Amino acid sequence: MEFNSKLKISKQRGSMMVEILVVAAILVATTIVALEVAHKSIYVARQSLHQSQAAFLLEEGVEATRIVRDNAWSQISGLSLSTNYYLSFSGGTWVLSVTPSTIGIFTRTVVFSSAYRDGSQNLASSGTLDAQTKLITVTVSWLEGTQVLSKNLKFYITDLFS
Amino acid sequence: MMYISKFKKINDKKGYTLVELMFYIALFSLLSMAIISTFITMSKAFKETTIQADLLQSSNILERISREVRQAYDINFISATDLRLNTIESNNRTIILRFVLSGYNIQVYQDDVFIGNLNIPSIEVTSLSFTQITTAQGKGVRITLSTRSNRDSLSRTYDFYSTAALRGSY
Repeated sequence: MEFNSKLKISKQRGSMMVEILVVAAILVATTIVALEVAHKSIYVARQSLHQSQAAFLLEEGVEATRIVRDNAWSQISGLSLSTNYYLSFSGGTWVLSVTPSTIGIFTRTVVFSSAYRDGSQNLASSGTLDAQTKLITVTVSWLEGTQVLSKNLKFYITDLFS
Repeated sequence: MMYISKFKKINDKKGYTLVELMFYIALFSLLSMAIISTFITMSKAFKETTIQADLLQSSNILERISREVRQAYDINFISATDLRLNTIESNNRTIILRFVLSGYNIQVYQDDVFIGNLNIPSIEVTSLSFTQITTAQGKGVRITLSTRSNRDSLSRTYDFYSTAALRGSY
């Protein structure tokens, strides 16, 4: 009788313990998930702002290259192909140089490649070399946490004015 | 014999309850601390995402100015914080569009009539700079913009850069 009642108490205590552990585990899991979501949302919000800043830098890269072309086509035709160039604003205009430069956390490079035309004079990836046109790739890269993100934009520029 | 066993039993039960209670209090306080800190972190995260969303709106300011610069045919007046563009509306009417920094707001004027602010109220424009670029073929404007959110207690500023060539000047 006495043994029985002791066993009963012990049994009850055991099941309470399991219940508490289950509740604790659920709460801990929920907390961890909530924290994860909070961190992810901050990361995504910051990343989208950086993406937007990078998009402007890309667009500016295109316009700045156009301005270099407007200054003189020789400033573009004289450049080496497949080389990283960096834009800098000096003397009231945009200039391209091989000296690396950064804009805050962003690095913007401009790479020139040859442009080709097919039989019907359309721009193509191969064909006859068009010395009056260049294929330009502007790339903006930045460090997001521990990850390097980058965006790029390709466009053609033509010697319109000489 | 019976007396001893009864005494032992009572004593045994009491001891367990105290240890249990202490364990539960410790567990409860640990869990509540974790939950409270999660709430704090989540409210911080919510505030941070609101600030970032505000700042993302500042890209609209630069987008609008760049677009107007591209469509313009000439620069009427330019200084660091004041730009007036000669532009043609869709009905072929020539207008002067003006973007000027006044306090923390970028104001838009059309033919000297105030249209409104380009920035949303929660965005403060801390600096704006227009620079004219003159090339052999035409003109362009370099625009730099720094903004911050007035919800941000850290007052962090973010920079946006744009350059636009006046297509109408070619």
